[in-house]
Order: sequence, then C-alpha cells, then structure tokens
Amino acid sequence: MNHGISEKEWNDYLEGQLDDESRDRVEAHMIGCLTCWTFHEQMALMNHALRRAGEEMRISLALQDEKLYDGMRGVFARIQEMEQDAAAPSQNSIQQRLSELAAVMAPMCGALTALEALRAAARVSPAHSLERVNADNWTPFLTSLTSIATVMCGETGAHLVWESGQF
Amino acid sequence: MEEKQAIELFLQTRSEESFCTLFELFYARVRRYFLLRGLETSTAEELAQNVLFIVYQKAGDVREKELFQGWLFKVAKNELLRHWRRQRSRNEIAWFEPLSDELTERLTTEMEIARNSDFAEWLRYLEPSEREIVILRFVEELNYEELAAALDIPIGTVKWRLFNAKKKLSAIITASSPDNRTRRIN
Repeated sequence: MNHGISEKEWNDYLEGQLDDESRDRVEAHMIGCLTCWTFHEQMALMNHALRRAGEEMRISLALQDEKLYDGMRGVFARIQEMEQDAAAPSQNSIQQRLSELAAVMAPMCGALTALEALRAAARVSPAHSLERVNADNWTPFLTSLTSIATVMCGETGAHLVWESGQF
Repeated sequence: MEEKQAIELFLQTRSEESFCTLFELFYARVRRYFLLRGLETSTAEELAQNVLFIVYQKAGDVREKELFQGWLFKVAKNELLRHWRRQRSRNEIAWFEPLSDELTERLTTEMEIARNSDFAEWLRYLEPSEREIVILRFVEELNYEELAAALDIPIGTVKWRLFNAKKKLSAIITASSPDNRTRRIN
C-alpha cells in the first residue's frame, strides 16, 4: 500500500512532525480512502498503546533509593580503585629506574657491588633505605649514587649513572 | 536538577558531585534498559554500574552535549553485547545462596514485570534491532537524533526501523485492544 504516501510520511504524520502541506495532503487522501484511514487508525492506536506501555514500564520499574545508593557506592569504589592504580605506576617506575641503574653499573663493577652501591646511596640519602626511595627523594639519592660511582667506576661511569637516572 | 543542566554541569566540571547528580538521574534508566532486554536484576545492576563507570571515565568523548543520552545508551548497548559474548564463551555454574523472602519477592516481582508485561510480550514479536529501538523510543523517550547516536545509524534508518516495528505490532495490538473505536483526524 502506497497511495502516494511514503512510509517516512506516514511515520512523520503519526509523530506529528509532518510539514503543513504534506499533512493536508495525507488528511485529504484519508477522507476518500478507507484502506488508508483504517491503516492510520491502527497505527495511531498502536502508537498510543506503546506510549502508555512505556510509561507503565517507567513507573513499575522505578528504582528504590536503597538500590540507587548501592549502585552509587559500587561505582565510586571502582573510581577509587582506578585512581589508586593510576597513582601506583609512579612507584612502579621508581622500581624500574632502580633496576636500570643496577643494570648500568653491573658491567662496570659487578652485579652484587652495584646493588650494594644502590643500598649505600639510599642509606646516606633522605630515603634511608632502598625500599623508601621515591619520586620526592630521588634526586638526593641519585646524587649520592653518582658520588659512589665516581669512586667505583670513574668519572665516565659516574656520568653514565647520572644520565641514566634522569626522568 | 533537570537532566539537561546535570549533563552540562558534569561535562564541564567532571566533578564527583556533578557525577552523583548525573548518576541519580540516569542509573535507574540504564538499569531498566537492561531489565527490558531480559537480564536478571543483579546482572542489570552490574552492567548499569559498568556503564556509569565508563561515563565517568570517558565523558570527554562526548562531542555534542545534546546527544549525551544517545551516547549513554550506545555505551549501554555495547556493554550488553560484551555481556552476551562473555556468556557465550563460558559455562557458568551459579550457586545460589538462600534469599530472604522479602528480597526474593522484590526480585521476582521486578523480573516478572520486565518479562511478563504486555510491553515485554509485544517485544517478543520483534527482531532484536526493532526491540532495541522500541525500548529506547517508548520507554526511555529518546528523540530521533539521540536514537541515531545510540544505534549508530542514520536518522532515516531510525524512522524506517521504527515504522516497521510499529506496523508489525499494530495488527497484534489492534486485535487485543478493547479501545478499538474510530478516531477523528488530528
């Protein structure tokens, strides 16, 4: 069934979105066409039924406050976890840097000596121990390590350690 | 606060406070969407939380604030697809703890409403893509532009799909409706 009225025009007419000229044309046609009149009636009835059913769904599936706040707590717990994970990598990157410094020094003075050098540098720096080296006390730690490397590996080795420790 | 205001405030500030307001306005709707797509209540709530979490993280992806609701339900639809893919790829053994009578009744009632209502009955006659568009249009009241954004299809396709869904249902609803009298032209 077309009768000169496209599906788009039918849809727009039923939704009240047809332009005036097209709406007049559709209505003039329906006056003389029982098929289209019946079709319009069925579709209008169905549209009304769907809107009513949709409203019933909104009312009957309304959410209680308790469930709303349960949901909110769940999401905020995830947000907090996400933000903690975002902060963690800076400590992970410190660990990575320490490993890289040990790897730079190991060929020059041996792996165990390199590790001892890192521990000694941490002890005399504001960190006091290798486990407590962080972004805030990194520079004084690196300065101490470079001084130690000057003695153990020479100026060139010390320069390499300093450069490797830069962020 | 109105939805439009809440959306604008959140997109501008991305603060936790503005997100709370947004959550209060949209969590129930997204949860309802999942219930109407046939999910159990607990799954619907879990996925709704996933959606709102994604909204918090990725609100910067929203290019036009007027289409925020369309984007929101697009995220919801993608979350539903991910859920179905996960369901297909594993066998689940669910262990149920005994529920209190009150909770059982509440959960059962809600799932019964979602699955046994006239609306749910009508949806069973539709293709999945038609079901989606009918839920978003008539329950969540998205306009055509928002539907196009949510479903990632042109507005013309939105109208065509909606019209076909209505035609399919009209015969069923007309046959079952007691209110079948002649109307005047609007």
